[in-house]
Amino acid sequence: MLKSYFLIAIRNLKRNKVFSVINIAGLALGLTCSLLVMLWVLDERSVDQFHANKDRLYSVYQRQYSDGKTTGGHYTPGMLAQELKKLFPEVEASTGLAWNDWLTFQVGDKIVQMEGNHADSDFFKMFSYPLLEGKPQSALSDPSGMAVSRHFAETFFGSPQAAIGKTVRVENRDNLVITAVFENMPKNSTQKWDYLFNWHYLQQYNDWVKQWANNGPATMLLLRSDANVAQFEARIKNYMDRHLGNEGWHVELYLQKYADRYLWSNMKDGFIAGGRIEYVRLFSIVAVFILLIACINFMNLTTARSIKRSKEIGVRKVSGAIRPALIRQFIGEAIVVVAIAMTAALILLFIALPFFNQLTQKEIELPFSQWAFWGSIFALTMLTGLLAGSYPALFLSSFKPVVVLKGVMKASASANRFRKGLVVFQFALSSLLIIGTIIVARQVQYIQNKNLGFNRENIVRVLLQGELPKHYETFRQKITAIPGVTSITPADQDPMQIANSTTDVEWEGKTPNTKPIFSSLGVGYDLIKTMQMQLVEGRDFSRDYGNDSAAFILNETAVKKIGYKDPIGKTFTLWETKGTIIGVVKDFHYGSMHNAIEPLVIHLSDNSKHAFALVRIEGARTKEAVAAMEQINNQLNPKFPFTYSFSDERFRQLYASETLINKLSNCFAVLAILISSLGLLGLAMFAAEQRVREIGIRKVLGADIKTLFVLLSREFLMLVFIAFIIACPVAWWAMNNWLHNYEYRTTINAWPFVIAGLAALAIALFTISFQTVKAALANPIKSLRSE
Amino acid sequence: MLSLKHISKWITLGGKPNFLLKDVNLTINQGEFVSIMGPSGSGKSTLLHIIGMLDDFNEGEYLFMDQPVHTLKEKQRSALYKQHIGFVFQAYHLIDELTVYENIETPLIYQNVKSSERKAIVADMLDRFQIVGKKDLFPTQLSGGQQQLVGIARALIAKPQLLLADEPTGNLNSKQGEEIMDLFKQLNNEGVTIIQVTHSEKNAGYGSRIIHLLDGRIEQEQQP
Repeated sequence: MLKSYFLIAIRNLKRNKVFSVINIAGLALGLTCSLLVMLWVLDERSVDQFHANKDRLYSVYQRQYSDGKTTGGHYTPGMLAQELKKLFPEVEASTGLAWNDWLTFQVGDKIVQMEGNHADSDFFKMFSYPLLEGKPQSALSDPSGMAVSRHFAETFFGSPQAAIGKTVRVENRDNLVITAVFENMPKNSTQKWDYLFNWHYLQQYNDWVKQWANNGPATMLLLRSDANVAQFEARIKNYMDRHLGNEGWHVELYLQKYADRYLWSNMKDGFIAGGRIEYVRLFSIVAVFILLIACINFMNLTTARSIKRSKEIGVRKVSGAIRPALIRQFIGEAIVVVAIAMTAALILLFIALPFFNQLTQKEIELPFSQWAFWGSIFALTMLTGLLAGSYPALFLSSFKPVVVLKGVMKASASANRFRKGLVVFQFALSSLLIIGTIIVARQVQYIQNKNLGFNRENIVRVLLQGELPKHYETFRQKITAIPGVTSITPADQDPMQIANSTTDVEWEGKTPNTKPIFSSLGVGYDLIKTMQMQLVEGRDFSRDYGNDSAAFILNETAVKKIGYKDPIGKTFTLWETKGTIIGVVKDFHYGSMHNAIEPLVIHLSDNSKHAFALVRIEGARTKEAVAAMEQINNQLNPKFPFTYSFSDERFRQLYASETLINKLSNCFAVLAILISSLGLLGLAMFAAEQRVREIGIRKVLGADIKTLFVLLSREFLMLVFIAFIIACPVAWWAMNNWLHNYEYRTTINAWPFVIAGLAALAIALFTISFQTVKAALANPIKSLRSE
Repeated sequence: MLSLKHISKWITLGGKPNFLLKDVNLTINQGEFVSIMGPSGSGKSTLLHIIGMLDDFNEGEYLFMDQPVHTLKEKQRSALYKQHIGFVFQAYHLIDELTVYENIETPLIYQNVKSSERKAIVADMLDRFQIVGKKDLFPTQLSGGQQQLVGIARALIAKPQLLLADEPTGNLNSKQGEEIMDLFKQLNNEGVTIIQVTHSEKNAGYGSRIIHLLDGRIEQEQQP
């Protein structure tokens, strides 16, 4: 019986080549899209899941209450990890993790920069990174030792075996011994480090890490398998009160599974608030939608052609087929068609994957050797076949043989209505995707074009490392002498991404016992000039004034917070240093567009504290200027490579995920409209075929081509229009929600809707016009004679 | 073999019942060859469809081989039907996508006959109708007479006791028609009960009994 289903399916496909191609192409496109998204989702979901202890690995995060506001994040005091392990029996192992750092390593003449971090000696007991050399217990137990990756070992020593026990010079200031070599961290790990230092090594250079009032490092815990997590979380919740007290400032500790951090990375007001998981969900839904659109094509075309097959159904029933047998047959046929489409989809997938990888910045490979992959391909084929075949099967198998065999079968009104409903549904989804795409694109454009409050073009950010902070004055003079360089300013952070903040501020009239959070930026001279920021009042730090070390520049939000009417010359205290406000800078964006601009205090800091120099260059001379700067670096700072980047490029990277969504939603919208149009083409062909006699009669009676064209197109265009009307409010609601993720966002006006509506109508008209024009032009004698 | 008691069927048009069949009483015994005649719209085909269980009726009782058809569920009716009844149509109604062989095979598939057995049964049938050479052709490649031959072969493949034919020669020329009627006669002699609807007095003459319908009623019964 299966063979018979298969045969008739194949013969039907061959007999109606155009319909078959439309059906299979639509399904293949839909399946390719779903498979791509499926691979992407699996890849996203696999990140950080490979740790054997993943169910017991937790990351501690803080929720801070101060000044009526709640904030939070995975930053904790540097002592917390060890302290929690000491005090709570539930903690089996713990480690702090500092920030990712690019440091310069030297062995012999070879100088290379590598990215890495600091960790406690428990690190390799907690995380599953196999050691090639050394033992987990001793890998990080010594402040003078370090663990390095296979890549690190091979770069400097040729092999892990050769590296163990060797000495490496770090930042041209310490010599550390390699105590362990670990396997390169896998692609699906968020930790991508080539070296790890002992925790005490961090404290040696960062005294503040030892103080409870300072936050920065992350705290990772491995809980005992018998630990009650909820109880433990409750016990540590108020732990920080022991160290910080509870006045005007309260900090609570909470746990998040380490394996969840990648997908649930966003914190809003101290609570975990989604993250990439939203895109995983969004794209999964979109993929299902697109597959659904393709399935609807199949349903529509199959049922539309049902009259042609009604005789077969009648005969089969007369031959003794009961309904379930026919339902099986038609679902079987659908599965055959889907299987063919799936084969095409796998080929398409193979072709499309490199482009998709490029688009999403991933390294997804086709898991052709995995049974699970083929299992899911099989399941997807069956499921899609079942879905696409369900309605046609129920519809076709319900035909009454007496009726169909008499040859008076007319498409029933309810079936027609249902088919129209499906077309409306398809085009509503397509319109939704088009509108969504336009609005996402507008938001990306908005971010790109937004006046940040400074000019990010033509700024080179140079890392101040090695000798440069010490010899900054010489460096500055040499740099400014380069033709094309207009100005330079040093800073302790990138002004585009200020992360430091403090509550240690005072001013006249401040409400006692409140601890508002101020962001802080330490700079040298010429910040305003170099960044081309705008001063609202007052002046920049200047060498002409001797006492600028006790001078502050605030942003507008800070002035508003303080409430000074005329701030210049008024007092302000930062970190117990009382000084005066010398300038007010217009608010500029130093964080994500997701969040509002917070109060900011800019102070003059010592050159030894500065991590970066920002250099403004004339656009036309960028190349020569950068080359000249490299030379200066090599003279003054030979033990360190010249490390620089362009600010506008880094800005683009900050919004990489928005750009990705923009590109992906473009693809999805194009696919959706393409597949829907394929379906519409099929239906238009069918309608023209069905009405061939009617058109013939009308022509004989004197109808001209224009009237016929309108007659044939009107109904379809009406459907597309209704679909658009349905899509509008849904799209508005969804996109409005999405935009509310951004504190700074574009407004939704009528244009995206108008454009999407016109586009949908135009594409639909274009698609059906081929068929309607052909039908309208046909010679009526021919069509009437064939009756 | 079957008996119809007070069978009526109507459709409601403009609130009034419009009778297709009215109070039809008919008993047909094993081995009969019955012809149903009557003008267009007299209810011939409807009666045949009801006998063939393809159509419902509004009133009355229908006993088929002592089973009350009107009380059976679809599944039981279908089981009864596919075991005992074969159908032949005026327009042949072969499935265009299937070959001659596969068309004939179809009823066996729905009766869950094993593949090897099916092969043997279909081969016998092809042999008997002398269409072995045409078994791989598609219906559109055959003449009308040949198509009807295939249609009859298909109707007989499951060895039904009752063959229903709705104007089996209506689309054929007289020579082809004669051949088909001779075949029917021969089948009847072999024991197959046949009920045919026909317009042709000549074809009706092949049978053992003629029933005349007019406006949904049995008007007259005669022996040829």
